[in-house]
Amino acid sequence: MKNIILLTIDALRKDALGCYGNKDGLTPFIDSLKGECIRFTKGQATGPYTQASFPGILTSSYYLEYGKPKGLSPHRTLISEPLKRAGIATAAFHSNPYLCDFLGWNRAWDFFYDSMEDEVSPQMPYIKGNVMNAKVTKWLSSYSMTGDSKPFFLWLHYMDIHEPYTPEKKYVDMVDPSIAISQDEMYIMFENTLLKRDVSSSEKVTLLKKLYDVHVREVDIYVQDFFRTLEKLGILKNSIVIITNDHGDEFNEHGGLSHDDKMYSELIDMPLIIYGRDNNGTCDTLVSNIDIAPTIVYLFGLDPVENFEGHSLLPLAAYHEEGCFGEAMDQKAQRGGDIEKDSYFYREKDLKIICHACIDKWELYDLKQDPNEVNNIIDTSPAAERLRGKLKPRIRRWLS
Amino acid sequence: MTEQEKKRKCAELVSKSKEVIRETFRRFNPIDTAITWTGGKDSTTNLWIIRQVCTEDNIDLPKVMTIDEGDAFPEITDFLIKTSKKWNIDLQWLCNFDVLKNAMSHLGNTVKVKDLNKRNQAELERIGSKEDSFTFEAESQQGNHLMKTVMFNQFVEENNIKAMFMALRRDEQTARKSDEYFTKKEGGYLMPEHTRISATLHFTERDIWNTTKLYNIPYCSLYEIGYRSLGARTTSNPGEVGVPAWEQNIENVPERAGRRQDKEKAMERMRQLGYM
Repeated sequence: MKNIILLTIDALRKDALGCYGNKDGLTPFIDSLKGECIRFTKGQATGPYTQASFPGILTSSYYLEYGKPKGLSPHRTLISEPLKRAGIATAAFHSNPYLCDFLGWNRAWDFFYDSMEDEVSPQMPYIKGNVMNAKVTKWLSSYSMTGDSKPFFLWLHYMDIHEPYTPEKKYVDMVDPSIAISQDEMYIMFENTLLKRDVSSSEKVTLLKKLYDVHVREVDIYVQDFFRTLEKLGILKNSIVIITNDHGDEFNEHGGLSHDDKMYSELIDMPLIIYGRDNNGTCDTLVSNIDIAPTIVYLFGLDPVENFEGHSLLPLAAYHEEGCFGEAMDQKAQRGGDIEKDSYFYREKDLKIICHACIDKWELYDLKQDPNEVNNIIDTSPAAERLRGKLKPRIRRWLS
Repeated sequence: MTEQEKKRKCAELVSKSKEVIRETFRRFNPIDTAITWTGGKDSTTNLWIIRQVCTEDNIDLPKVMTIDEGDAFPEITDFLIKTSKKWNIDLQWLCNFDVLKNAMSHLGNTVKVKDLNKRNQAELERIGSKEDSFTFEAESQQGNHLMKTVMFNQFVEENNIKAMFMALRRDEQTARKSDEYFTKKEGGYLMPEHTRISATLHFTERDIWNTTKLYNIPYCSLYEIGYRSLGARTTSNPGEVGVPAWEQNIENVPERAGRRQDKEKAMERMRQLGYM
């Protein structure tokens, strides 16, 4: 039985990857895995930001279904739990505060590193990919020395693409040597433009996107180094690696920046690659990130977990395409705003319906005709009523 | 576990700690070491074990220091005074008086950064704090850094300490799972190089209570009325009120569930990442 490694890359837009159509050559290594992996072309996250999306990835459940989110609900089943019961070693390495120890995400893991005890700087408020790789290598080395024949599940999360977008010169030069601003100046752009969601200057937005692209290039190198380490340790041949994101990032496609509570493709589209299995190629079925945990359970030969709402993607032939759901809250509301502003989406094939529940505003897009989601057909589409009917039961309103 | 088994286990745990302490005194001259003591159950047990080693090996007890973060439980202060007298320890009390003075010793008061001394200002800059004032709350990021971290580092510097005895346990937080007894802290700007030793790493919360009770090690009265973890007064909350710590559901309820400090750390990261 193979080990399973889940590699999640924070804020990675699906369209930043060469294998998904990007022409700027930002991900040569990940692209090179073609031919040795299954690539899902229509993956959807369950939310547009980490807090909303990760319940999908690690607990196969939805963000708001257990009430106003405070930490990891005891009612959810975290992927580490069934694996632990089955005697599989589990280790987690990340530096995202929304998934920390304090919020309960350390449940059941044999090893859980969330970096909260380590010092970070404002310009780089996370742990860099190469440092994460070093920590994982240490764990992998000691694991392989125990001579343990049981497989392991490793979750590794890279934060490097996440704002404040302050890449080092050596990576900038790999993408666009003409960019001459210092890291301090990049940080000022973060404070003055990005944090303020100021899209008035298209030059600034373009520059922000360029800096973002540089980080994508940077992470591809960390992924390459990680694979090299796996090879050196003799682990790669015995492992399946799942590569995905939690959400994307906006660059004024819909009037904003970063990742707020919007359900458009630049945030919801999810790259999903499964490396290390015998069957390869692309799969165009509509899949959700709630299917990832059930797939892991299936690959370890375990019985399906009752609490998991998704279904194993494998074997491909047995996967039943269903619609995808997602939900999020206006993050300002979480800081104690007056109104609970929740949003939802439902996608079926190429139709996506979005609801901003508190203002009863609905949008419907035909993603085939209108991939940029600019033409709202809620009032004219014959599918509107049926899709509304699908989404309405998901609308979770609650009193404060 | 029978009483016999409990006794044997405690003796083994203490014995292991003594090995680590003796190893420390082999690597470092005892004069170049010091002991941190918060008055909590872990650091008191730790100090008790170190005292034993010093008595057995005829070594002078290293300096013992405690840090007043400006928000101490009076019960802890009393406990420290009483126990240091009983154990004949010349306890060094540290406090960032500059911050305390500017906050007028009052929690909740605003401290203006420009009124602080140069060291404190430099320390705030070092952790990336850009605001020109902050609220004096011991477990806030700026407060914690100045009242605790800075005093710790200054003590190490001024006393040329090469090794500090701490009282961390592996089971306190999952991030500590692979901590080692000896951790070298590299020197840096405003951060003196030193080694930290936690001879209590292998104790669990339950082990600490068993050992405390078995050897009649003194502990603060707050544990009797329900506190499991003692940090700053305003941000430490009891577990089950009225139930002594050792009688609570130690195995299943997190010890630090009442500590706001961990929440503050997470929130600060969220701010730095552009949230809030």
